[in-house]
Amino acid sequence: MERTLIEFITALRRSGVRVSVSETLDAFRTAELVGYGNRERLKDALAAALAKSLAEKETFLSCFSRFFTRDDFSQSDWVFPDNDDLELREEDAPLTRMLLSGDLPGLSVSMMNASRSIDLTAIRFFTQKSFYVRKILNGMGLEQLEQDIRRLKKSDRPGSNEKGAALENARQMLFENVRDFVEKQYDLFARSVSDELIENYLKEIRLSNVERRDFQRMQAIIRRMVKRLQDRHSRRRKKAKKGRLDFRKTLRDNTVYQGPLFDLRWKTKRIERPDIVAICDLSRSVEAVARFMLLFLYSLNEAVARIRTFVFCSNLAEASPIFEEYGVEEALDRLLRGVGVPVMFGRTDYGQALRDFEDGWIDTVTKKTTVLVLGDARSNFGDPGTGVLKRIHRRCRRVLWLNPEPPSFWGTGDSEMKRYLPFCRPARECSTLNHLERVVDVLLTMPK
Amino acid sequence: MESNANPYRDRFLSIDQVQRGFEAAGYVCGRAIATTLYVGCHLNKPILVEGPAGVGKTELANVMAAYLGVPLIRLQCYEGLDESKALYEWKYGKQLLYTQILRDRMNDLVKGVDGLEAAMDRLHQYDDVFFSINFLEPRPLLKALQEKGGAVLLIDEVDKSDPEFEAFLLEILSDFQVSIPEIGTLKAASTPFVFLTSNNTREMSEALKRRCLHLYIPFPDPKIERAIVRMKVPAVPELLRSQLVSFIHQVRNLDLKKAPSVSETIDWARVLLLLHAEVLTPDLVQETLNVFLKFEQDVEVVTARIPELTLKSTREFPV
Repeated sequence: MERTLIEFITALRRSGVRVSVSETLDAFRTAELVGYGNRERLKDALAAALAKSLAEKETFLSCFSRFFTRDDFSQSDWVFPDNDDLELREEDAPLTRMLLSGDLPGLSVSMMNASRSIDLTAIRFFTQKSFYVRKILNGMGLEQLEQDIRRLKKSDRPGSNEKGAALENARQMLFENVRDFVEKQYDLFARSVSDELIENYLKEIRLSNVERRDFQRMQAIIRRMVKRLQDRHSRRRKKAKKGRLDFRKTLRDNTVYQGPLFDLRWKTKRIERPDIVAICDLSRSVEAVARFMLLFLYSLNEAVARIRTFVFCSNLAEASPIFEEYGVEEALDRLLRGVGVPVMFGRTDYGQALRDFEDGWIDTVTKKTTVLVLGDARSNFGDPGTGVLKRIHRRCRRVLWLNPEPPSFWGTGDSEMKRYLPFCRPARECSTLNHLERVVDVLLTMPK
Repeated sequence: MESNANPYRDRFLSIDQVQRGFEAAGYVCGRAIATTLYVGCHLNKPILVEGPAGVGKTELANVMAAYLGVPLIRLQCYEGLDESKALYEWKYGKQLLYTQILRDRMNDLVKGVDGLEAAMDRLHQYDDVFFSINFLEPRPLLKALQEKGGAVLLIDEVDKSDPEFEAFLLEILSDFQVSIPEIGTLKAASTPFVFLTSNNTREMSEALKRRCLHLYIPFPDPKIERAIVRMKVPAVPELLRSQLVSFIHQVRNLDLKKAPSVSETIDWARVLLLLHAEVLTPDLVQETLNVFLKFEQDVEVVTARIPELTLKSTREFPV
């Protein structure tokens, strides 16, 4: 049973439940305590010891039910031949005997043993499936079975041809069963590993190259990243201002000691949640990045930060009302199609956009505001409006510029990035999910 | 594990015993809960309880204390909670007072000793007098460890505390001991049964989770919830009980800001009992809606669907 439990824990780990060594020991003691006799009881007890959050509980349950199902042989459309016709002989291989006598439990046991001896739990990729099927079959004695079939086909003893044909049928059944078995084991031990591979790839891929079919997956990844950031930042922490004595509090708290100041109290400072004004370029070249960044920011909106959003192309308009009215994803679709916002999708004009912002909404920017500009700074050789950005820069806490292009492209062609650079602190390349997460993390930590 | 460390073992001989004992103490618990308590007792592990607000997480600890016949010691967590409020406070005042009063005695002590150093040496022999457990004001955690006959320690809403405090809890949770710099390490007189509850406002650290068993209490299924209502408000007629539980379950499936919890089901049952209701009617529901819905928007959402929901509940349990 020990080995089974360890294999089960391996399967759990591969499905994304983190199980430490001490928890493994707990699981052993738990199983010993409640026994293996009652399946439901074992499930409840192991769930308490191994799965430590609601999400993990769900994974655990599905893993448990898949793992502890007996992998019995199913005969499906294979009918066992009448034993009288096909008498078993001394020279028949064990596998042949089991197949012909319909010894399903024997076959199961033989399959399990074969899979253990080659350690099927090490399976990682779906391309390995047929390799493992072959190995298990060999372990069960496929070679002798083949020999038997060849021998029977050649032999001219009465009935041996029928026996050979029946054996061939049975071999087919055997193949199918082993393939199903490997399939299930793959699900158990490797599915999440390959999911992880895809996710890591998606985190590193340029956002502009993400294909529509992966959007769902991307959003799931973003949700998870957001959850992590939220855990880290959602509570407003107090930070001690090192070295500043809070005299009044010290006096108050020390009256119990009748005068002597034993217990010194220091001034603290509440860390405010960041106030963000996001200005987003919506032109084709940055569309994809804008989509994911806004998705990211707005998922954090309520709990962590306060955000006002402006979008522009040829001119600039405020987009916050749309986000308030619809869910994030719906709002994004509307924005990118230009429904409900007075933005003209003509030539991108950064100068005009910045001037529009200054005319209409400069009051939203205060000393506490972080202005986040997302764009490639390609302004079609128009007036870049650097003067406006300078004034914004003076007013706000800082300007953060995210550019989907790598720094080597900045300032080439119609890119005005080099001219904006002096007013941005910092300007970053932002083209993958990993970049995004890092930027948002910086945004929330705000060292000043 | 020490063999004598667990005084509650005779109360945890089997899972069924736990389940029946809790029911007698006024808590209907499902199989999963009973199993976790059973394992928690025998493995000597704290239990981290999670679940939506109002499903009886805190109540579980209360009932456990009643079941074991030991005191419940409760530590409510909040932001800024630190050792001095959770573990112990050093009574400087008392210490000062004592040294003042005992000044003469100290003179006696150092009488006839030459030089400052020798006097200090002499005094050092009596260190223990000044730094003894008498000058400690025990707070919940220390109290729970000192309780001779065992105790149930409830660390409520641990997710509200700071990560630093969480780290500080680790020593207590794994070894049932605390280190006090002035005195040394204090071991538990008798291992307390520890519950931690969390409403999931933040993820607890891996280290904390590793030291605990985890119990998730979801909203109970109708059968268990009916049993709970029967136990808490026995006077409610059976038909009404079934109908109101069915109604609440439908409401929980709606998209609400705050779904009604078990405690609110019980409140509602009490109110309906006061109004001498026999069966659920749309008017009755309309009038008492605010008992189990706490937000204006939620009331609006449900009001629009009262006839439909009531009809479904009454159809499920016809007169």
